Amino acid sequence: MSDQVLLTTTVGSFGKPDYLQKARNANARGKLGETELTELERRATEEWIRRQERLDLDILVDGEMYRGDMVAYFAERLEGFRLGGLVRSYGNRYYHKPIIASPVRRPKPMTVEWFRFTQSLTDRPVKGMLTGPYTLLDWSYNEAYRTRRDAALALAEVVRQEAEDLQAAGARYIQIDEPAIHARPEEIDIAIEAMGVVTQNLTAKTISHICYGDFAAIYPKVLELPVDQLDLAMANYGYRWLKLFDRDRFTKELAIGIVDVHSHETESVATAAEGIRKGLRYVSKERLLPHPDCGLKTRTVEESEEKCRVVVEATKVVRTELARQATPAKTAR
Amino acid sequence: MKTTVIGAYPKISDEHQDLRRALHRHDRGELDADGLAGVLNESTRWAIGELDWVGVDVINDGQVRWDDMLAPFARAWEGCDRGPLERFYDNNTYFRQPVISGPITTDGKTLVRDFEFARGVARGQLKAAVCGPLTFATLAEDRHYRSLEDRTLAVADAIAAEIRGLGAAGATLVDVEEPALVAHPEHFAIARAAIERLAAAGVPLALQTYFFPADPLLDALAAFPVAQIGVDVRSRETHVLDKLNTLRQTVVLGIVDARNTRVETERELVGLIEAALKRIPAEYLWLAPTTGLEYLPHDVAVQKLRALVTAAHAAGGVKA
Repeated sequence: MSDQVLLTTTVGSFGKPDYLQKARNANARGKLGETELTELERRATEEWIRRQERLDLDILVDGEMYRGDMVAYFAERLEGFRLGGLVRSYGNRYYHKPIIASPVRRPKPMTVEWFRFTQSLTDRPVKGMLTGPYTLLDWSYNEAYRTRRDAALALAEVVRQEAEDLQAAGARYIQIDEPAIHARPEEIDIAIEAMGVVTQNLTAKTISHICYGDFAAIYPKVLELPVDQLDLAMANYGYRWLKLFDRDRFTKELAIGIVDVHSHETESVATAAEGIRKGLRYVSKERLLPHPDCGLKTRTVEESEEKCRVVVEATKVVRTELARQATPAKTAR
Repeated sequence: MKTTVIGAYPKISDEHQDLRRALHRHDRGELDADGLAGVLNESTRWAIGELDWVGVDVINDGQVRWDDMLAPFARAWEGCDRGPLERFYDNNTYFRQPVISGPITTDGKTLVRDFEFARGVARGQLKAAVCGPLTFATLAEDRHYRSLEDRTLAVADAIAAEIRGLGAAGATLVDVEEPALVAHPEHFAIARAAIERLAAAGVPLALQTYFFPADPLLDALAAFPVAQIGVDVRSRETHVLDKLNTLRQTVVLGIVDARNTRVETERELVGLIEAALKRIPAEYLWLAPTTGLEYLPHDVAVQKLRALVTAAHAAGGVKA
């Protein structure tokens, strides 16, 4: 894989199989024990690893079979948080929005065992997956800290501990998602400062996924976010954010979303390949990583798989084109 | 000093989830449109009953039928469809982006049935609400109009028609929910032209600003042709409280933070009310949450309303 260009990856979550969804519901109703649920989560994780290998994705994820909401998962494991009542996210979707009720502390690692288990299943690299401090703050109610900066920096400390434990467990890629980073563009300095706390001691490749919001409002300032790679939804936005890179050069690795995740239908391979070609105008093939726009947890297993298949097929089309362009040049010399 | 609410009330509680279940069943084809309408009516009754029971003086219908602030209009208007999900300002809450594909037209009756239903249920004074024209125009994708100004004024004409419809149905006060005005103060001239068209409908209006501080706009707001101006003095850094006398309209003071679960103490709230009363007389002051209570879990929303009503009574010298 080391000399491969346009490494393919995904954003983190996949659709959960029916048996797991039912088991989670039964567990929530107290009708299925933790041990039984964990067994099914491990089975679903292994199935997703096999699927990703079959699809020929390069950098894998555990698919988050054991997680529901990306903030609540951590809130349930950190001291200082409690889960509030139901709040509507959109339409008929509700979630238990966490409350930071007292100073936060990490009693023990939260994702490391899952990382170890998943990485033991495959020779391909698996990403460690965390939610960033600014998003943990912004998607919770803050009752404990005087200012939002104070809260973000306290959360950064617990995320730093988790990230360093993932690295010690062998993670070569650590993704620290900040989908809320543009919620308040005037606070981007807080998000940057907090991410600096998280990544200060990491040698692993660091990545941050950003989606759903006004990316233009934080560009080019977001290039100061101390991570190696930004992971951006592009297909859903008609690749409009790329135009920003004309004015201010994009200086990081770019994981580029080339299929929309919120529709049941998937773009054609040709359309997705065109997305990669658009990205190549701004970022070299060594630094461009095709993937779906966002996590796939709202899709079924089959839909998730189909979207990944299109990403990989489109990438192979473009890799072949790049190889063809490179060959005549060599013979001419 | 009257108490009031703005925007949407929580549609369900951890205990009362009838509407959530009904919508799931409707999606799966197990509940027909009439069945769903019945549950929506019951949920509206529930929301209004709670607002009345807590003792809020001027209530709305809780916007139980509104998926988001733009949805009722994007659904009903000709020339407009509902597009992809987008984040609603700085909330972890999403709305369907309206897509404007042709001239916007309406029969002006989009909200009339709901208002009439709510009036039959509410014990106290009921007000109506519409989406602010600048808010709708800045959040929509426009494939038809040529500029933000054209789009905002076209939306304003449609909303003015809705306000006329509400007026004919008996509404005596209509909230115009306009967070875009404080999110984008640079567009205040367009917003004002739009609000003038709304005012021409002849029903008293309350211009509700929220999510962002109103500081940069206070002087401009004083000239808007509305009966009331809503400002948030609680959830963000702001000095609006010290300059309330700039406004000539009744002030709807947002004093309980509808986006944070920490419930304000009576002392904090009375302090805010007393600070306001140094600038404006009590008959020009209404008290409210900073925005819609749907950003809070139901149990906290109720506690916040209780805190609001209790503080209003304490500051007004009335025994709660």
